[in-house]
Amino acid sequence: MSHHYIQFKDVRYAYPRGSEVLHGINFRITHGEHVALLGLNGSGKSTLLLQINGLLMPTSGQVIIGDIPVTRKTLRIVRQTVGMVFQNSDDMLFMPTIGEDIAFGPRNMGLPDEEVTRRVNGALDAVGLTGLGDRPAFTLSGGQRRAAAIASVLSMEPNILVLDEPSANLDARARRQLIDILKQFHHTILLATHDTDMALELCPRSIVLYSGKIAADAPTAALALGEDSPARNLFRTPAAPALTPTPN
Amino acid sequence: MHMADALVSPPVAITAGVAAAALIVVASRKVSQIKREDILPLMGVMGAFVFAAQMINFSIPGTGSSGHIIGGVLLAALMGPWAAFITLASVLIIQCLVFADGGLMALGCNLINMGAMSCLVAFPLIYRPIAGRSLKKGRVMLASIAACIVGLELGALLVTGETELSGITALPASQFLMFMLPIHLAIGLCEGVATGAVLCFVQSYKPDMLYRTDRLYENPSQPKKMTRKSKVVLTVFAVLALAMGVAFTWIASSNPDGLEWSIARITGDTELAPAITPATALMPDYNSTFSGVLGGLIVVALLWGFCSIIFRKRHAKA
Amino acid sequence: MPKLENALISLNSLSRPAAGKVSAPALLVVTLVYLVAVLSVPLYAPQRIVWLAVYPVVQSEMSGIGFARVFGKSLWVLPLILLIGIFNPFIDTQTAFTIGGVAVSRGWVSFFSIMLRGLLAVQAVVILTMTAGFYDMCHAMRRFGCPKVLVTQLQFTYRYMVVVVEEAVGMDRARKARGFGRNSYPLRMWGRMVGQLLVRSYERATRIYRAMLSRGFDGTMPLSRPQHMSGLSWVFMLIWVAVMLALRLINISQLIF
Repeated sequence: MSHHYIQFKDVRYAYPRGSEVLHGINFRITHGEHVALLGLNGSGKSTLLLQINGLLMPTSGQVIIGDIPVTRKTLRIVRQTVGMVFQNSDDMLFMPTIGEDIAFGPRNMGLPDEEVTRRVNGALDAVGLTGLGDRPAFTLSGGQRRAAAIASVLSMEPNILVLDEPSANLDARARRQLIDILKQFHHTILLATHDTDMALELCPRSIVLYSGKIAADAPTAALALGEDSPARNLFRTPAAPALTPTPN
Repeated sequence: MHMADALVSPPVAITAGVAAAALIVVASRKVSQIKREDILPLMGVMGAFVFAAQMINFSIPGTGSSGHIIGGVLLAALMGPWAAFITLASVLIIQCLVFADGGLMALGCNLINMGAMSCLVAFPLIYRPIAGRSLKKGRVMLASIAACIVGLELGALLVTGETELSGITALPASQFLMFMLPIHLAIGLCEGVATGAVLCFVQSYKPDMLYRTDRLYENPSQPKKMTRKSKVVLTVFAVLALAMGVAFTWIASSNPDGLEWSIARITGDTELAPAITPATALMPDYNSTFSGVLGGLIVVALLWGFCSIIFRKRHAKA
Repeated sequence: MPKLENALISLNSLSRPAAGKVSAPALLVVTLVYLVAVLSVPLYAPQRIVWLAVYPVVQSEMSGIGFARVFGKSLWVLPLILLIGIFNPFIDTQTAFTIGGVAVSRGWVSFFSIMLRGLLAVQAVVILTMTAGFYDMCHAMRRFGCPKVLVTQLQFTYRYMVVVVEEAVGMDRARKARGFGRNSYPLRMWGRMVGQLLVRSYERATRIYRAMLSRGFDGTMPLSRPQHMSGLSWVFMLIWVAVMLALRLINISQLIF
């Protein structure tokens, strides 16, 4: 599997007994790209992310991961390829200790014990939680929990990392550590976020979603700074007095 | 309603423990047959929910006092009786092991009185026939009230029985019942109204939670084969519990202090024998009671002083 | 609600590592043997229960908790057993013995016994709770043949207790902030609040399930293997069981006094 790409082909999705949320999504993210998914609350970001590893199946259209179309039969391989980090770390850390949480994925993959241990330690090191493997999740700080949640996915050695609001509820230092962790990941990243500063720093490209349609797919810098950018309102207004040069 | 260890004797506790263990084994089998794979996280979070909900009090109109729910019928209405039983059991076990709330020996009694009576008896026999599958608010409310009252009254009945069988209270069973049943009628009414209120809320804001449980009942993968197996397990345990109950009762009645009596028989130790309270004597020598208690207390107090000096130093160093 | 907040505090304090070095299965066995020993003493022989106080006294000091703390924590059980035991002195008025001309009835003797066994039994469980970690106890239960479904359930519930209680505290504070000054809810409001907590919990369960699926969950939970019992734990267990049997079977009061 050399092609770690994500491709959406005219994906539509409607919740059961509900109206359509995604109206024909098309994009392709190639290997090693870091892409931000921007959009207002309720624009369909989370729903879109859930299609990527088959937690929701499109009502029409197709999602392709690498060379594999996402269907019920390919779920196992797709879920090993795509590492999904959810918005709420508590939902991802359900085992007694974070070490066991990080081992959950590898164990389900049927890896032998020594390999599981190696991966757990590797993932803990990667997110800066070395030696904290036998701590229960609720003894950790919010930032550490987010790191542990990411480690629980990294231990499966995914080719694609998908994150939903990774910087939400983090203080400045924990946010910085998160960005550093993500910078080390050299495979494909798709992250949905409201944190446009982080998007600017991590992701050269952004996809903007507006009520279930792609409103823009362009370099992040252009979206942030362009005068007629469709995503101008998503970016925080620059702190004007400090940034604009004042005429003497 | 949590029974304390002080209120049970070992025979009653162990018999109830075996019966409760049997129910847990059967319930675990039933739960692992449930096709819904999200049943594990659902049960887990629902356990945590019940734990929290038990601490949120509602005021009882007209009395100025407040009460809380136990939650058996509520859980059963959401997840079916067996999953509800395991969930409530986990809450009771955690309350016992983590908060020392409700005794460890009395755990079997508590699992049966509070868990089994509401989830496994009152729910299938009272709630389901009344509520049916219509999900109409009035019927849900009526069913909750009826099921909660029946569940709690059965529980109160069992508490009385267990305490009487343990020989703890000198109060005759009939008087004890007169004391327990009316109280639990009132508590059951409150719990029923509260349970109904929550279910009605769920019914109007997230009805699919109730619809999905409805499908759960029809879902066991290989119903006939597994049911027979569960029945065998249940029968074996029931016979075991019954046998233990009978054996204990026999030992207890023929010999109030059976443990010593049998040990003395086995070892044939004549030196031990005089130290043992004569088993059949109606009046043990009470004159030694007072001095015995006093002497024992003094020795234990001395031991405490001794231990605290020795071990505190060591713990301070470490 | 102070109850909720107290529960949160004690849940958080319990997250500290277990106090003892003895492994949980040994502690569980010793506690059960102890309870059988205490509870099997006839009610009319309090002089024989007293001796069994040796275990909570010595064990609480040995593990560094201190008996005073354990004793204080055990007091809450008194009202509960008082309710049941208080009838005995009034019903069973037959004289048991006299001290300095004052006749003590059998009812009072049994009442004293009930209080004593209540305190000792709770003390033993409190010590167990404070020395063995919860997850270790789950392993111990698994070792004693407890079904996997129940062990998984215990771990899940314990894990999410803090989360759900925190959520409930948040909702409760939001209500308090809008102020009614009451400590309990009128039923209608209670139904709405608890219903909301229920719906949130249900949604959380769905999210957890999704997180599990994303990491390859196929319906079976991997459980970590329980550790082996250390030599120290075996010694601990055997010595205490022997001591308890001796205290239970030999009437020391009669030997000495």
